[in-house]
Amino acid sequence: MEIALEVPQPRLRAVPAETAHEPPDASDSSDAELLARVGERDRDAFEILYGRYVRPVFSLALRRLGDRGHAEDAVQEAFAAIWRSASTYRPERGAAGGWLYTVARNAIVDRLRRNGPPTDTELPELASGEPGPAQQAEDAEVSWRVHRALEEIEPREREVIELAYWSGMSQSEVAEYLGLPLGTVKTRTRSGLAKLAEVLEGEVL
Amino acid sequence: MTREPNFDELIGTEETGAERERLRHAHELLLQAGPPPELPPSLQKAPNFGVFSLHHRRVVKRRTLVLLAAALSIAVVFVAGYAVGNNRGGSSTAKGETPRLLALTGTQAAPNARATLAVWHARNGNWPMRLSVVGLPKLPGHTYYEVYLVRNGKPWGQCGAFRIARSSPDTLTLTFNAPYSLQKGDSWVVTRPNPSGAEPGQTVLRAVTA
Repeated sequence: MEIALEVPQPRLRAVPAETAHEPPDASDSSDAELLARVGERDRDAFEILYGRYVRPVFSLALRRLGDRGHAEDAVQEAFAAIWRSASTYRPERGAAGGWLYTVARNAIVDRLRRNGPPTDTELPELASGEPGPAQQAEDAEVSWRVHRALEEIEPREREVIELAYWSGMSQSEVAEYLGLPLGTVKTRTRSGLAKLAEVLEGEVL
Repeated sequence: MTREPNFDELIGTEETGAERERLRHAHELLLQAGPPPELPPSLQKAPNFGVFSLHHRRVVKRRTLVLLAAALSIAVVFVAGYAVGNNRGGSSTAKGETPRLLALTGTQAAPNARATLAVWHARNGNWPMRLSVVGLPKLPGHTYYEVYLVRNGKPWGQCGAFRIARSSPDTLTLTFNAPYSLQKGDSWVVTRPNPSGAEPGQTVLRAVTA
């Protein structure tokens, strides 16, 4: 008889080899600098910006659209809009992160409108336990900020934080899973969280 | 059930005061945000929107121009209206496959323009397309034309953009991609920016209908 065990599988992203000490995205350019270069049709700058924002944009699209296929399309449209409109960004009017958030959100809302109303139009008999629109908007914004900030920290620190927060593992289990001393995992978690706090504090939407 | 991480266990007792509160705030935001989603393969790489500046394009050889002109003429006669068939039907991705052709004609906004759009079968969810266009005027400033997939009679999804420069050849050939699930009845248009900035812009090329 076969027995199916439900074992939580941690979701991992590729982390550079232990000897490598590269910055997270191989570029120290700010988002505003990258946007200016994208406005001049700089493909390399666009790829760096894409690497920084694709996850937050996809996360935002998934929250709003609730369907992976539509969310994928919305991400493509959001980055098409960024590519087209980057030259209209003016740093004196606000932070680049806020501009990118607005462009992405507009593309997602456009997609939502094009999809039309949901096919199931029956009214629910009971009040929904889901958060209201204001709470959903706040959650979406927090998720955008946090996922964006995660792209800023060292991959090794990001890895232990993602495992600690979303894999269900204890720090001892994370240490065993990664084959690292427990002290190293604790140090990376603390320093990663400190860097994350720093990025989040400096971020303006 | 997934256990929620305990802040005190993660951070220990070394940090105190304002620094501890700063870390706690980041901790709470992480819990509120939830995990970032797994990226599907289609989003792993930055898309190429196929924007071409003709200043960087090599001049198309005369022989190629002749072939393109011939293809354009044939397509105008051959195709009246275009409907993409069932997108599940196209399994061939072999080299040399025949693309479906769509003839586009200029609207009042660009009466001298015409084009053909060749659409190949999907590869990994992407439909490669080649647009051959003549007679579109150069647009002012840094503005450019956009190619839109039309669904239910309305511009629905962007497939790329291009510019016309003073030095552009008579027939311009560009490669684009439709990263969408094409449906029966889909078509394409080419637009130019609206003065108001509203999108999609004004249609300058649309499919020839019977």
